[in-house]
Amino acid sequence: MSSDAVTSASPPGADAGVPAVEMHGISKRFGDVVAVDGIDLQIGDGEFFALLGPSGCGKTTTLRMIAGLDIPSEGRLAIFGEEVASWPPDQRPVNTVFQAYALFPHMTVEQNIAFGLQMRGIRGPDADRQVAEATALVQLEGMEHRRPSQLSGGQQQRVALARALVNHPKVLLLDEPLGALDLKLRQEMQVELKALQREVGITFVFVTHDQEEALAMSDRVGVMSEGRLLQVGTPAEVYEHPANRFVADFIGRTNLLEGITESPSAVRLDAGAVVAAANGLAAGSAAALSVRPEQVRLHRRGETPAGAPCLDGVITDATYLGHAFVYTVAIGPTASASGTNTGERAATITARSETGSAALAAGEPVSVSWSPEATTVVAD
Amino acid sequence: MSNLGTAGAKRSATHLLKANAWFVFAFLYVPIVVLVVFSFNDSERVNVWQGLSARWYGEALGNTQVISALRVSLIVAISSTIVSTVLGTAVALALDRYRFKGRRALDGTVYLPIVIPDITMAVMLLVFFAEAFKLIDTFGPRLTLGVTTVALSHIAFNISFVAVVVRARLDQFDRTLEEAARDLYATPWRTFRRVTLPLIAPGIAAGALLALTLSLDDVVISAFTAGPGATTLPVYVFSTIRQGVTPELNAISTLMLAASITLVVASLALQRPRSTTP
Repeated sequence: MSSDAVTSASPPGADAGVPAVEMHGISKRFGDVVAVDGIDLQIGDGEFFALLGPSGCGKTTTLRMIAGLDIPSEGRLAIFGEEVASWPPDQRPVNTVFQAYALFPHMTVEQNIAFGLQMRGIRGPDADRQVAEATALVQLEGMEHRRPSQLSGGQQQRVALARALVNHPKVLLLDEPLGALDLKLRQEMQVELKALQREVGITFVFVTHDQEEALAMSDRVGVMSEGRLLQVGTPAEVYEHPANRFVADFIGRTNLLEGITESPSAVRLDAGAVVAAANGLAAGSAAALSVRPEQVRLHRRGETPAGAPCLDGVITDATYLGHAFVYTVAIGPTASASGTNTGERAATITARSETGSAALAAGEPVSVSWSPEATTVVAD
Repeated sequence: MSNLGTAGAKRSATHLLKANAWFVFAFLYVPIVVLVVFSFNDSERVNVWQGLSARWYGEALGNTQVISALRVSLIVAISSTIVSTVLGTAVALALDRYRFKGRRALDGTVYLPIVIPDITMAVMLLVFFAEAFKLIDTFGPRLTLGVTTVALSHIAFNISFVAVVVRARLDQFDRTLEEAARDLYATPWRTFRRVTLPLIAPGIAAGALLALTLSLDDVVISAFTAGPGATTLPVYVFSTIRQGVTPELNAISTLMLAASITLVVASLALQRPRSTTP
């Protein structure tokens, strides 16, 4: 299953035509440091694609290679079918929204937006009209003659967007464009950016370390770590069926229950119990069972449903969040009262349940269960 | 009681500090004030006050030797400033941008002319010119010291000063702006013209003004490398002062002081970060 998830690298609408961005075996080394290590990726025309990963994972370098600001050490890179790996940035049909916007401080908003047009020799009324359109698109009318230093962070971000979009790039690259904004503005801009992408119909490639942002905004997500692309899929795919331990842990909150596979359809957990869980691994391999907190069901001890995997435990913490409870349940030999847990190592499970169901208190003996379809077995 | 004691000590310490400050100011500025005041003295003798007059300014400006020295000074200052500004900026850009063979060595030596004593630099240049002339003269031309050698010497030390000032400006320069320009279809040259140059221009202007000031003020190097007929104004002042200070020299010195102060203030104003570019 995990290998399936990794290879589902083609976008939903990929068969419709030439991919917007196509990478084969792209690597980038800076001296002895391998920043990007053999990436294969296709991004479809009109897609909103997020490159997600912790800082230093190579996502920004990957974006810079598409922009032409870094040249790949090896591999092939095509934009709408054209091999561009060695092209300088000014000849590529892409534009970038930089992390700190990189607006020209000595130019007005209008001059910033017109820069790309000027460089391509578009001047006069035609340029004026396009600049006005772009200014209106990002709702900056009336700000044309201000300097970037006279704008708020959110306004600067709009200028950066307009300055890129006015050129009608085939692909728009965004490097953590919302990183410098405060939380509320960031959430507003997420919605706006997504609407903007639908309006202009341009392929967006978006770099972020914020998994919520990536899941909320993109059509597909590529998760990166240490220069490698670990998994590509829709937000639901990577969330529900993470390809490996890193992805499971990085995307959202999850419970990782360590164990050893017994058969392609069962895992023996270290915390005790053999549970049904489909996996593509050889029997006896070390693996972890990933169960999302909202998929964990809590039962008072003895009220467990038949058929579902079930572990006994004791609630050690109950946190009220308003819309939900988060429970921490200690699982394992010490917590076992009924004797069903035969493992030797203890584990904790985080469970989440909507408020409205009966509240449970710390210290209460419980059983936890989940439906086997809601879990994923991940290897390292 | 002890409180009153320390308060008293504090007060006398404050007085002492104040007195010290006035002493330092006096030490620095009284000679300048004396110079300026006596340049307006209506007397043949420097140390006898006879009343206010601007006659020595007229006298100085009517002196053909002064005017010809001023002409040499301006030719040397302007030509050496232009050349050293271009070369110094190029050096600063190269050191800031590129990793090349010998970069570290250049980085260490480019500032050498700032720390080398003027007299050493002067002897060095004189020896260099003598040897170079000997070599070139074997091919025919007979070269001598003159305005050109003075200008070349000034270029030699001014490059360092310009490079230092421009590099300080480059340190604050955000390279992402250049990447943004490249991303927006600008070629490397247009990126430099439209983005880099306008943003480091205040640093370049400050460096140029500093070079102009240093060239106008230099005595030692100019005296060594000037041939006959290439006397700069400071060298002229220095040579005439051996026959005693005259009120005319006071007037010339005051004019040079005014020019220097104007240039230095302008240079400092331009070096203020983000003063012209918000």
